[in-house]
Amino acid sequence: MTIAAAKGILPSAERPGAYAAHARRWLQENLTDRLRTDRAHEPRATLDELKRFEAALYRAGLAGITWPTAYGGHGLTLREHLEANREIGLAPAPNAVNSIGKELVGPIVLAVGDERQKAEFLPAILGMDTIWCQGFSEPGAGSDLAGLRTRVERCADGWRVNGQKIWTSGASKSQRCLLLARTGVPEDRHRGLVLFAVPMDRPGIDVREIRSMDGDRSFCEVFFSDVIVDEADMLGAPDEGWLAATRVLSIERATNRMYRAWRFESELDHLIAACRTDARSLAILQGYARELAQIRVEIEMLKGHVETLVESLLAGEEIGPRGSFPKLYWSESHQRFAQIAFEVVSRFPPTAGQALRDVKARMEAIYLHSRAETIYAGTTEIQLDIIGKRILNLSRAS
Amino acid sequence: MTDEIDPKDFEDTARAVVEACAKASDGRARARLLAEAGLFGVIAPEEAGGLGLSLRHAVPVVAAAGSGLLAYPLIEAMVLARALAGVDAAEAGRILSGESLATIAWSGVAEDGLVGHAPLAEEADRILIFRADGGAVLAAASNVVRVEPSSDRWDVDLPSAPVRTDGPVTGIELGAEAVRALRADADLLRAAHILGSASHCLSLAIGHAQGREQFGRPLSSYQVLRHKMSRDALVTETIRNGIARALSAHREDADLVREAAWLNAARSGPAVAENAIQIFGGMGFTWEVPLHRHLRQMRAQGSYGAAADLLERFGQALIASSSNEWYREENHAN
Repeated sequence: MTIAAAKGILPSAERPGAYAAHARRWLQENLTDRLRTDRAHEPRATLDELKRFEAALYRAGLAGITWPTAYGGHGLTLREHLEANREIGLAPAPNAVNSIGKELVGPIVLAVGDERQKAEFLPAILGMDTIWCQGFSEPGAGSDLAGLRTRVERCADGWRVNGQKIWTSGASKSQRCLLLARTGVPEDRHRGLVLFAVPMDRPGIDVREIRSMDGDRSFCEVFFSDVIVDEADMLGAPDEGWLAATRVLSIERATNRMYRAWRFESELDHLIAACRTDARSLAILQGYARELAQIRVEIEMLKGHVETLVESLLAGEEIGPRGSFPKLYWSESHQRFAQIAFEVVSRFPPTAGQALRDVKARMEAIYLHSRAETIYAGTTEIQLDIIGKRILNLSRAS
Repeated sequence: MTDEIDPKDFEDTARAVVEACAKASDGRARARLLAEAGLFGVIAPEEAGGLGLSLRHAVPVVAAAGSGLLAYPLIEAMVLARALAGVDAAEAGRILSGESLATIAWSGVAEDGLVGHAPLAEEADRILIFRADGGAVLAAASNVVRVEPSSDRWDVDLPSAPVRTDGPVTGIELGAEAVRALRADADLLRAAHILGSASHCLSLAIGHAQGREQFGRPLSSYQVLRHKMSRDALVTETIRNGIARALSAHREDADLVREAAWLNAARSGPAVAENAIQIFGGMGFTWEVPLHRHLRQMRAQGSYGAAADLLERFGQALIASSSNEWYREENHAN
């Protein structure tokens, strides 16, 4: 019996909105002030608190929704996933610590992993026992991922890894790394790429944190010096694993952090609610009425992109390059919002009360962080190339 | 008839009829072609002689009109036939049969004595004029309601004209509720019209960029132009998905979602024509290349649907009534 069934929550097909109602209720009861991202004056939640919250979210049926029950999932559809994510987005909830595990590793393991890997890795992701990081980008291979140089070669104990990864978010708190490396030479480009589930406590792995422009230290560099990994931790055969993974990735681009449109709405709601607590701030905000209206329109359009792709996936259609549309739209629209919001909060008077100070801190952080959004998960320029080449079939030939 | 009919089935028919209309001599001839194909009645109830289908089915028809620069107030005929069906079925029937050429004066109210933005008013038999109380009256183009010689040739294909009302305007009346529904239908259809127009401009730009060579290479080999067209693909896809979302049944937030879909189309669609003009270079600025006609009709639809006014109201309403239970003001420690 699934958790949802045990709790008497009906799938969306039987009762639309029931899953959303459950999610809303659960969040109201479990999202404490310390966990809320709109309470800058509260002490920040610790990593352990965030992990406990995320594990509880799963136990409440709000994560691992579409994963098979055999591996700890709730065995439901993207429809319930969408309903739950709308509510998670509307709330000032923290971003997932293990989003790489849940949104990238899980689907790849389900697609190419063997039975042992599925049974071992998947429940540990949902239960927050194993946090994952993504070892794809390298100093010489960012947008041009096929240029990566990290090498794996067979040895007596399994495989030996040598190389360097960068922009590995959360590596310093991860227990495993989804490593993309090659068996041959860099000139092989897309051939000979292989995926490994590397335990982060192996000798020869050195993690260095990189301080990002928003002051965070989540980014890392990861160095692999003669690191031995087990054959059993290879995901799919060389070549096969990566090919299957890219298919999964195109779906993931369309569905990951599905709550984003609603979180975006929630941030705008917070700005407005806070400004309404003070006449001077409200007057400032009213000067931005048209810009905010435009942003609110864009939020609805973003929901349209997400819901259209969810309907396509539910109908069994291929998403392919269409996943680029929501990524491109969200990242640029969110940056525009962040610029407006920053300008609004920068005009608050020094006498501003707690509500305004809280929203100011949140909007400043959003503004800085938003600069990464057109860079990570495929830059704006890469998305535009994908649309031009694979949707419009524009010839690049001279 | 039910919604089981695939809206796409209408697309080919609509395209063919719009093409035939381009060769017709005047509005009346176009009315006959459109009526014969049943296109006026897609959303009108069956009792009045319509097909009784949903707005979803009207979208590809109106998009084809936008794409083909149809010189007929199709949106107006469709929404009038639907709104009038329950009030005066005979009048609705005359619109459906193409016998009566009907249009709507989208700006101003009868009490002002002068209303405007009435597409093809110079050829119209009937003109719907709004009233200050929120209702409207369908007036006969006669001595009481005079269409002024049009000075507005903004929309080359479908010029609008101002309409003067001397004294009280009489005719079939629509209440405020019916007018609200009519405007809501029109907003979504206008978004579809812009979708058709913008998509056509993008395909013209792509065709030109693939065929035209400069410095020994096709324009499409230049990344800066490919990216411009990719952005326009994002614009048209966004308009399409916005319309689809507004059409999905039983939404609690139907008004918001519809207004957003309309505002998005009105505000983002014209840029696709503007970019296509840029990609065409000097040719794009000529009268012969039809891009300016698309730009004009998209901007005209923006005015008919008062998108700029709506954006302002939308923003004020957002600030005044945004309600997310997580940020109730009393929850904030001050």
